[in-house]
Amino acid sequence: MAVYNRKTVTRAGTVLRCAGLSLAYPTQGKCFLALNDVSFEVRRGEFVSVIGPSGCGKTSLLHVLAGLLPPTAGSVEPLDGEPGQAPGAALVFQENSLFPWMTVVENAAFGLEMRKVGKADRECRAAHMLDRFGLAGRERDYPRQLSTGMKQRVAVIRAFLSGAPALLMDEPFAALDRQTRMQAQRELMDLWESEHKTVVFVTHDVDEALLLSDRIVVLSASPGTVVSEFRVAMERPRAFLWEPDEEYLALKRRIFAALHLTSGLTRYACASS
Amino acid sequence: MIAAAVAMARRAWLVALILGCWQALSHWRVLDPLFFPAPTTLLATLAALTASGEIGHQVMCTLERTAVGFGLGVLWGTLASVILSLSAVLRRASEPLVAALYSTPRLTLLPMVMLVVGVNDFARVLLVALGTALLMMIQVSDAIRAVNKDYVDMAVNYGASRIMVIRKVYLPACLPQIFTALRLAFSRALVLTISVELLNSNDGLGSMILSAWQTFAIEKLYVSIALAGALGLVFQWLFHQLERRMAPWKDQAA
Repeated sequence: MAVYNRKTVTRAGTVLRCAGLSLAYPTQGKCFLALNDVSFEVRRGEFVSVIGPSGCGKTSLLHVLAGLLPPTAGSVEPLDGEPGQAPGAALVFQENSLFPWMTVVENAAFGLEMRKVGKADRECRAAHMLDRFGLAGRERDYPRQLSTGMKQRVAVIRAFLSGAPALLMDEPFAALDRQTRMQAQRELMDLWESEHKTVVFVTHDVDEALLLSDRIVVLSASPGTVVSEFRVAMERPRAFLWEPDEEYLALKRRIFAALHLTSGLTRYACASS
Repeated sequence: MIAAAVAMARRAWLVALILGCWQALSHWRVLDPLFFPAPTTLLATLAALTASGEIGHQVMCTLERTAVGFGLGVLWGTLASVILSLSAVLRRASEPLVAALYSTPRLTLLPMVMLVVGVNDFARVLLVALGTALLMMIQVSDAIRAVNKDYVDMAVNYGASRIMVIRKVYLPACLPQIFTALRLAFSRALVLTISVELLNSNDGLGSMILSAWQTFAIEKLYVSIALAGALGLVFQWLFHQLERRMAPWKDQAA
């Protein structure tokens, strides 16, 4: 598989910009502020991870970016679709990521189906992708017959096939064991490099973020707000998980510091309120 | 073939055992054959009644009422649940009404229905339809409300229109529970039909049971009750098969 050179990607357009994003919703009669003044940009073809402690509104953020939740304040600038492609962003859910009543190939081709691609055409394209990721022969199975790792693989394939220029992933590999997870990460990199998509990837795993991303946005816990941003300039493919280098360790230390700082602040905020 | 026979035997042994004991006990006169005729005697009665065409006629009468009432009820109940799931205002307002109707024995409505539409077959079928509709409405409403919002979000995210969300998410997500509801509703319809016939009818299994009791035709009484049970069994099985066929993605235990 050709290793794609990041420098050749056009980085002209900002594909997604959210400015002053806040989200509040009522819970048990009280108003809960999930996101507070979140601003960041994602450029075309970029892989951006959003990392933060659990309960920092990462999932809500993705739902707002996907247009499924209207923000209470602030704005998400529309994702400008590439010519001939569907606008918007495809969301990969953490669980329940496949329709249980559709076969694997129907699930994988769902985005194409919604874009009115003919049945033979879409199933052929889906089957090709499934084949590429080791799911050949499972096309007519139902999701309950797949392992969690396989399900998430199909969900990722569906997002890539949908034609959306940007993918929003909500901890898609959180439920996988370590080996399956590493495999899934490698496959995601392959896909991203060959398909030239923009990805916003939510995770709570610093190593995962470092392995995959061009940039890492760190959020604090409730309400979620951007604490800092890190550029990850290390060369791809990245092998630091088994050959740790200085750059990786330094960056990891800084991100940990940022996360610790935020959790410290949270504790303080809880005690004072 | 052998596996099917074994599966059959697993289901049938208890019934066979009971019938065997019954036969033996009436044979040795432990059971009074006046009140508990032997199964073989009943089988002879069944054959005679079938040959005379009485059973065919009565069963068809009952099935006809059940089918029409069930069909109407399913239609109304499903429509009502769809309307209620679209309007929260209507749903809240109808909740006490539905709860009250649901806990009223449906048979008690028969005099009222007959008062309105007259003492005829339409009244009997209408009551069956009401009972079926109520059950369908409650079941299908539950199914619609239980649809996981993640799947709706997912479909919307991939650009599904409202119609597509209904076709691709709501309908398949509700299908298994709809088929369970159909199965329950059919047995409810059958029970209601026979009960109505028992109360007020000149034909059908219910009326056959009543007249057998009034003329002390004990064998006929047993045969007609057994027939009612057998009908229920056959249709439960049929609906079960339909359920499996229509929702192949579901885990099929047993």
